[in-house]
Amino acid sequence: MFFWIAAAVLTLGACLAVLVPLTRTQAGRDADRDHDIEVYRDQLAELDREAARGSIGESEAAEARAEIGRRILRLADQQSDQASSSGGRFTRFAGTAAVLSIPLLSWGVYATIGSPDLPAMPLQARIEQDPEKNTVDELVARAEAHLAENPSDGRGWDVLAPIYYRMGRHQDAVTAYRNAIRLSGVSAARETGLGEALAASSGGLITSDAQAAFERALALDPQFPKARYLLAAAFMQDGKPDQAVAELQRMMEGLPEESPWRDVAQQAMRSVNAEVEREQTATGPTREQVQDAAGMDDADRAAMIEGMVSSLDEKLRANPDDPAGWQRLIQSYVVLGREADAVEALGRGIVAMGSDSDKGAELEAFGASLGLKPGEPEKE
Amino acid sequence: MIVELGHFALVLAFALALVQSTVPLIGARSGNQRMMAVAGPVTIAGFVLTAFAFAVLTVSYIQSDFSVVNVWENSHSLKPMIYKVTGTWGNHEGSMLLWVLILAAFGALVTVFSGNLPATLRANVLAVQGMIGAAFFLFILATSNPFARLDPAPFEGRDLNPLLQDIGLAIHPPLLYLGYVGFSISFSFAVAALIDGKIDAAWARWVRPWTLAAWVFLTGGIAMGSYWAYYELGWGGFWFWDPVENASFLPWLSGTALLHSAIVMEKRSALKIWTLLLAILTFSLSLLGTFLVRSGVLTSVHAFATDPTRGVFILAILMVFIGGSLALFAIRAHLLTAGGLFQPISREGALVLNNLFLTTATATVLIGTLYPLLVEAVTGDKISVGPPFFNMTFGPLVVPLLAVVPFGPLLAWKRGDIAAVSQRLFFAFGIALLATLGAFVFIDRVSVFAALGIGLSVWLVAGAFTDLALKAGFGKVSPSVALSRLFGLPRSVFGTALAHAGLGLTTLGIVSVVTLETEKFTSMKPGETVQVADYTIRFDGISPFQGPNYTEDRGHFTFLNSAGRELGELFSSKRLYPARQMPTTEAGIRTRGLSQLYISLGDPTVDGGIVVRIWWKPLVLLIWLGGVLMMIGGTVSLLDRRLRIGAPAARRSAAVGEAKALPS
Repeated sequence: MFFWIAAAVLTLGACLAVLVPLTRTQAGRDADRDHDIEVYRDQLAELDREAARGSIGESEAAEARAEIGRRILRLADQQSDQASSSGGRFTRFAGTAAVLSIPLLSWGVYATIGSPDLPAMPLQARIEQDPEKNTVDELVARAEAHLAENPSDGRGWDVLAPIYYRMGRHQDAVTAYRNAIRLSGVSAARETGLGEALAASSGGLITSDAQAAFERALALDPQFPKARYLLAAAFMQDGKPDQAVAELQRMMEGLPEESPWRDVAQQAMRSVNAEVEREQTATGPTREQVQDAAGMDDADRAAMIEGMVSSLDEKLRANPDDPAGWQRLIQSYVVLGREADAVEALGRGIVAMGSDSDKGAELEAFGASLGLKPGEPEKE
Repeated sequence: MIVELGHFALVLAFALALVQSTVPLIGARSGNQRMMAVAGPVTIAGFVLTAFAFAVLTVSYIQSDFSVVNVWENSHSLKPMIYKVTGTWGNHEGSMLLWVLILAAFGALVTVFSGNLPATLRANVLAVQGMIGAAFFLFILATSNPFARLDPAPFEGRDLNPLLQDIGLAIHPPLLYLGYVGFSISFSFAVAALIDGKIDAAWARWVRPWTLAAWVFLTGGIAMGSYWAYYELGWGGFWFWDPVENASFLPWLSGTALLHSAIVMEKRSALKIWTLLLAILTFSLSLLGTFLVRSGVLTSVHAFATDPTRGVFILAILMVFIGGSLALFAIRAHLLTAGGLFQPISREGALVLNNLFLTTATATVLIGTLYPLLVEAVTGDKISVGPPFFNMTFGPLVVPLLAVVPFGPLLAWKRGDIAAVSQRLFFAFGIALLATLGAFVFIDRVSVFAALGIGLSVWLVAGAFTDLALKAGFGKVSPSVALSRLFGLPRSVFGTALAHAGLGLTTLGIVSVVTLETEKFTSMKPGETVQVADYTIRFDGISPFQGPNYTEDRGHFTFLNSAGRELGELFSSKRLYPARQMPTTEAGIRTRGLSQLYISLGDPTVDGGIVVRIWWKPLVLLIWLGGVLMMIGGTVSLLDRRLRIGAPAARRSAAVGEAKALPS
């Protein structure tokens, strides 16, 4: 409410700035001529000073005096063409329009672009309000303000670090854990938190920094389950399931019967095993094949890949009801740069699925996502 | 609530600007005194409202009110207070608000100081100012509103670009805008004269102080910007012919031309039409600079706005104002009468020569700046017109101009005697020749350019003082009389001499740095030393440092003279601003007299050392001190009593008494 009153006062002031001069009779102003004469007179005086200083020659000064004199005479000849009207209906009309335009325009424009109900929110005031009413964000800001003033309060960083992590401010969490470690010393929990935050800030990838943090945590407390679990995840991610399993087993050994980590570890173990099995039975290259490929030269590797792709192609000709297989085949052709084959395979796949069926539509969409349109199916 | 009140005040100022641009103009066309009188109060009210809006935005920055989008995007609660304040204009929206604030302030100043202006001229001038204001208010409200809000408000801002977190931001943009926008007054006067179809006798007398003030500010803004870039960007250069730099240099060149042609117009009523055209061109170049910087056409630290709608909007403003004023010029210019006559060799002639050189230089820089953009627009090729182009074209234009500068103030009005003036400059020429030979023999025998450049600079400075000495009559009359005559000289004479001497000092600084600087580019390990010019620099190691909103690694250096005595320490650092994850380098600079030692840190090397660039920059400070001296000269000239004359009301009684003294 106060806003609208203040806005109204401002508007009124602005209107008055237009209205007052329009209604007041103007004191007779000097005609423009008077101004000019004054200037010419001053020019003459300055000419004398310049001539005295020698900035202008005597004859030139006389000439200049004559020039100025002629201008003064010309001025005297001019009729004053200033019709000094100061009233009339036109003024009243134009004046009213001008005065009215101010509230109409300003309130109209402001109503479309303003947010009159939104109060100002200075940071300090938001931090100082009753903590009960604070949101998590506000509590964090409050803690940040405290730490800005007492940056060596290790306990503060300890509290803030996991909150940052949960809020998704991973980089801040890394800084907070580092500060807590620096100020309050190392501990398995802090190192594990740091590693977790590092991994999260690089998009979930457990980097060597993060892995080193887990290892430091385990050096401090070999039975710290979370660090062990995450280290296992790191091995899994690096494609070392054996080591992952070993870590998980060590974790199980150290855990008491009733620990909730037991289920987690068992679950993880099962999924590692399932992963290993799936890889071995998958139609794709086996682990051994990939490891072999790493040791081959380029020509051999290309030959191996070509071989795998063509065997997949054969398999699909024999057993076409395999949507995932078709997708893998098409993708492989695209990766190999054999676009024509990819298009052809897409067409074959759609026919095999049945172009009206859901699976066929799905495959077509998949092709479209790679920028492919189904080609004519091969005559068989 | 206060934020929204600021927003409302801005809208209201826009409405008032529309009234200001129409009602007084109608009044002036129809001779209606009341409608003309509206201009003054409306201008003042508009200024008060704009100032209020600006103050509100500043307070939002100080209080870290992140419910304002602009504050959230460009501030951070941990930022030191001074950068919270300067951050107000360290971004597109806020700087546009500063732009219109300065425009409104100039309008208010014209209102206050225009008691002696003819009523119609005053109404027309303020109306044109109102049009410029309305256009930019609309631009701000439609495309760049600094009062846009966020709900819910975040708890931390994104921080200001670290390069801008510097005291330079407090000085450079406001000075530059005072310059740019100050030229709008000359523009408004020119357009007002064209609207009326006549130039009042005192027109130049009113325009010159505004032009001079704008020129003083622009000089300061450019000098400060150059110094800021020099110490902040860490590449050790002071001018790079970057399009953004050129954008500010163009109005300076044509503004300097305007300043000189306005003298002729004021004193001798000559060059009227030319002066009018220059006034229009100068402000047009200011607007062009705004367009180039804001439209996203260029990328640089200045290009905060890359939104194409903004570029199109400013382009429209540009076309309306430049096109409109030039069209008006074409229609009306023939109504203006020509003024006093003069011989080619005369003070007037010298000023025309100055104008020819300056406008040609302006055109050269303009072509060099726009040509790459045009080529890119037409063919899509990116070409670069770099320093070589400007050195090849701008240099040859400016050197002769500098060489003839000392002649100008010594030539008589209307008809001068070049031989007599040369004779009087004999002494100054002698000093310059000695300086050239001295530089060649003692400083650098290799580079003739250095010696000639130093000679040219000394010639400018000595010429400026010769002018003062001759006007005071040293050598002709007794020293005491000459001294009293010196103090009796008009301030504008001092202003001219100081500004020309400042030009000489800047030239000396540039010549000295370009031809005589020493640069070392090497990698150093702690304890190692390197020899630069006459100094030995020892690298002492790197230590971490925690700033309020950044962390940095400081490289410590000690520098010693040739005898091995320690002269002092300095550090150069690499900073990281975590809020933007942005690294910057902070150059370590140590001043010795007018010269500077400049150290910039590079990356660490594998063997535990660090890459460093060290420059010894002789007389580098003169580049900017010369600019400061030019500003002082301009200010002294501004205080000349002559510029305060022209009010019939105040002097009417005196005038009656003097009327008899008028020559027939």
